[in-house]
Amino acid sequence: MFSLQGSGIGGGVVIGRARVFESGSRDIERRRIESADVGHETARLDRALEQVKSELLTLADHLPLTAPPEARALLEVHAMILDDPSLVQEARAMIAEQLWNAEWSLWTQAGHLAAQFSAFEDAYLRERGRDVEQVADRVLRALAGTRVQPAHVAAAAIVVAHDLSPADMLAMREADGFVIEQGGSTSHTAILARSMNVPTVMGLATACQRIQDDDWLILDGESGTVIVSPDEDVLAAYRARQAIDSLERERLQKLVAVATRTRDGRTICLQANIEHPDEAAEALSAGAEGVGLFRTEFLFMNRSVLPDEDEQFEAYRQVVQAMQGRPVTIRTIDIGADKTLDGSMSAQAPNPALGLRAIRYALAEPQLFLAQVRAILRASAYGPVRLLIPMVAHDHEISLSLEWIERARRGLRDQAIAFDPAMAVGVMIEVPAAALCATHFARRVDFLSIGTNDLVQYTLAIDRADHEVASLYDPYHPAVLRLIQSTLRAARRAGKPVSVCGEMAGDPLATRLLLGMGLSEFSMHAATLLRVKREVLDGDVTRLAPRVARLIACDDPVRSRSMLDRLRADPDGARPQR
Amino acid sequence: MLSAEVEVVNALGLHARPSARLTALAGRFRSEIWISRGARRVNAKSIMGVMMLAAGRGSSLKLEAEGPDEVQAIEALRALIAAGFDEKG
Repeated sequence: MFSLQGSGIGGGVVIGRARVFESGSRDIERRRIESADVGHETARLDRALEQVKSELLTLADHLPLTAPPEARALLEVHAMILDDPSLVQEARAMIAEQLWNAEWSLWTQAGHLAAQFSAFEDAYLRERGRDVEQVADRVLRALAGTRVQPAHVAAAAIVVAHDLSPADMLAMREADGFVIEQGGSTSHTAILARSMNVPTVMGLATACQRIQDDDWLILDGESGTVIVSPDEDVLAAYRARQAIDSLERERLQKLVAVATRTRDGRTICLQANIEHPDEAAEALSAGAEGVGLFRTEFLFMNRSVLPDEDEQFEAYRQVVQAMQGRPVTIRTIDIGADKTLDGSMSAQAPNPALGLRAIRYALAEPQLFLAQVRAILRASAYGPVRLLIPMVAHDHEISLSLEWIERARRGLRDQAIAFDPAMAVGVMIEVPAAALCATHFARRVDFLSIGTNDLVQYTLAIDRADHEVASLYDPYHPAVLRLIQSTLRAARRAGKPVSVCGEMAGDPLATRLLLGMGLSEFSMHAATLLRVKREVLDGDVTRLAPRVARLIACDDPVRSRSMLDRLRADPDGARPQR
Repeated sequence: MLSAEVEVVNALGLHARPSARLTALAGRFRSEIWISRGARRVNAKSIMGVMMLAAGRGSSLKLEAEGPDEVQAIEALRALIAAGFDEKG
């Protein structure tokens, strides 16, 4: 047993047998050609370039739905290198002017480019030289007439290789892990490995010499350690840890198709929070019944020119169509005047959290708000959409927002542009004023959505980012729980849907508490959805409700803490209550 | 020959994907197009060249174009860079 240390790219721990691919160092054929053969040699090079380009683009077009969004972009970057004049024209010139063969000409030019990149101090740029070499390597394989796609790799194998391009890695995506001699955490291969969440260690220079085919490996993608031919007891310890992890994953995965119903037969709706259109796929695969919160800030941040209505419409429509008929709740812009749109700080507001932000900001910039509302309305022609207004505290903010929405509807109607006239409009309950006025607000709009993060901050006057007071941030403070409870009650009485979309909704430790308050719509990051679902399936609202009511009514922090602990520890909610 | 100055505003600068978009856009024009940053001047149709500019956020770039569609080329490239390549984050 011995261990090797590389740089951990991520993906957790895996145990498997090594499958070693030959080292990348190869003899490049170097030969002079006759001037009469220049045309033939150039044509060989062009054919190989075309072949590799079409392979890469075919791979990009046939990516499985589960492939990460980065995969396509990385393949396209490699395809573009094949068109790069600094590589291709220079190689052709070497063939024509210096009478070298195609292989040597291409390899020499790729080497020149890679060398220029390796001179950079910036780690990211240094890695870009590997991109050229990986592409050139593929072209050389095509010139040699060898199959460019590497052999199919069975599952339960760990690939050990000198270097892998993103395309190689995608072609070998069945593998359980990757050990790669070249590259570091900023290489495109590393970016792909991270997004595929496959255990990977890179920059392990001697891997191909020291590891042999069929060696047992323990690969820790987090620490970057590879244990080769581990002793029985080490192996046993890792196996136990791995078994627990994978059992947990399997169990959770099985819940995807299960109807979300509590033990006492109540149907609960679990939705996903997303920040970018690409995340819709992840939401669907976790079994989300819709998008409960689509944050739209990504469209507005880090840019100097505002996105116009069409650009926003495209982003919203993409999500609505990806969700295939499931509802999508789109929240209007939730940034403040303290941040300019390109992300830099402008004239500092005295207290940004209490300043011109969210709906206040939108109403102060009505053209921006109108464009966003129109884009959201237009997306509603493609599937069920709900519009959600953040940080409302005053009745007149609702009135003004509804007026702008009505104006947007009129404009679209006049222009004969399609939208759903029945699109629901709701408000976030995230400041105490809104929670206390929830009965009134619930009558004015179609639905409510409780944002627990801000509600906790504003209720307790705690900025969680301030280390001095962060420990006072407590989502279980009775004041917070009572505001949530009264909001849920207000919505129920008004007959309006209400959801919770803050961190609490995605915390399995809070699920039973929220169920006991009568919550039936949760929205959270897709990654925690199945864990919350398991809690829901185990929950019994009829039994939880009186326990939760007592907990919320309790002012003694020690007693309420122990009630909360018992609520969490008691797996079926069925323990008889005193 | 036309030229224009533009500042890189997106968070990550001219890393691989923005470079790919810039190169693809430049490739659609018949004019010869160059980008320079300081003393380094590269062919805007070369993705490797564009990446070699190592242009981070806040870098100032000079665009130059010469050919039948030089006006459109300069305007299109300037707009793409100034809009931060529409990237998130």
